[in-house]
Amino acid sequence: MGKVKIKKKDTRIDMTAMSDVTVLLLTFFMLTSTFLSKEPVQVITPPSVSEEKVPDEKLLSVLLSPDGHIYMSLTGSKDETLKTEDLREAALKNAVGQWNSLHPSKKVNLTQEQVETFKKLGTFGVPMEKLSEWLNLEMEKRDNMLKESSIPIDMNKDTSRPNEFQIWVTAVYKAMMEAGIQKDLTNGKGIAVKADQTTPYDIVQQVMDNLQTVNMTKFSLMTALKVVED
Amino acid sequence: MAKKDKSRQKKFDTRIDFTPMVDMNMLLITFFMLCTTMIKSQTLQLALPTNEKIEQEEQNQAKASEAITFIVTGKLTEVNVGGKMMEISKPADGRVFYYEGQADTENPDAFKEIKLGGGGEGYIRTVLQERNKEVLAEIKKLKERWKKGEIHDSTYQALAEKARNNENYKRPVVMIKATANASYADVVSVLDEMQINNISRYQLERLSADDSTMLKNKGINLE
Repeated sequence: MGKVKIKKKDTRIDMTAMSDVTVLLLTFFMLTSTFLSKEPVQVITPPSVSEEKVPDEKLLSVLLSPDGHIYMSLTGSKDETLKTEDLREAALKNAVGQWNSLHPSKKVNLTQEQVETFKKLGTFGVPMEKLSEWLNLEMEKRDNMLKESSIPIDMNKDTSRPNEFQIWVTAVYKAMMEAGIQKDLTNGKGIAVKADQTTPYDIVQQVMDNLQTVNMTKFSLMTALKVVED
Repeated sequence: MAKKDKSRQKKFDTRIDFTPMVDMNMLLITFFMLCTTMIKSQTLQLALPTNEKIEQEEQNQAKASEAITFIVTGKLTEVNVGGKMMEISKPADGRVFYYEGQADTENPDAFKEIKLGGGGEGYIRTVLQERNKEVLAEIKKLKERWKKGEIHDSTYQALAEKARNNENYKRPVVMIKATANASYADVVSVLDEMQINNISRYQLERLSADDSTMLKNKGINLE
């Protein structure tokens, strides 16, 4: 009897080609990626036609949340001149030094361990007096505290009694000057103000005024790309 | 017989199953895709005057005839920001006013309202283009030459920069001011118009007493 033979097909698919493609894609993403830095607040920058890119080294970026909190983050040079961690350490030492000489009654003393922690942190923004406490916290609690804090700022024009924001900016400037790259900070590209598009203008203006007071008159505003037809 | 059996080589299937490999790669790709920022932020460069104010004021006096002042205001609305209710000005909600030359509180007609962006009469871009037309005309010519490939990219940039700063052309001096409650996005879009219209002389300034008076006359809330 002629039975109908059902041909058994191999259901397995050859995954080699698929694997090739995925490996290629993976390589592409690995090579092109720059990781999002962790920021305490999410900020949507306003659109602009300017096509100038944010430099990816030697950058002091000032983050402004819509409710007026101020944070800073530092990026050092790509080469050996002043690596990010060294820049953070130098800036921290300068800032703490200046704070201690201005406020002898409220001295901040950091242990080496705390300095090491600070070097690893992307964004900072707590008042000087809380710095030590903040650095001692666990990571999660530290992030939560950062959300609630801000670098203190006021309308101070007196350069002999700088406020904390001014202390930090001059500390970064000094740190860069020691490495001989202060030009990169003052040429207009080294300081980037990243503010949310809904941030009230008086907060942005206050930051600009403070930068002006410490003689950082050239800086840039971070924006998102917008295309305009002529 | 037994010997023959032993000598027969067993055929191994040399194909390896790549499915787990693909699974793992997909996971990694997903991770990288989610964690990367492809588009880098753009920046808008800004230079503020140095602390020596006297020199700057003299400059302002001299250029009063070419001066044009824009004032950005805000309109507060209650918005939920991260769980908190806050009063902020949303982008493009605020009104923008402008006047030419010196502030004149006596003449409310000189203090006009203007719309942000481009699109013809009554828009900021039209006003600026009209005042900077000599520079824009030259840059347009340069752009055409650049598009045809007659001049190199860097030459084009240099020549355009020169045109923007050409003393012989009639160029406006733009003053940008904003009230405390103005939204930052609106200020940036006014700054942006400077880029779009190739204006080389502009600055951010604080509101003067006259400006506040004029805004109050228009019924604008300054706080």
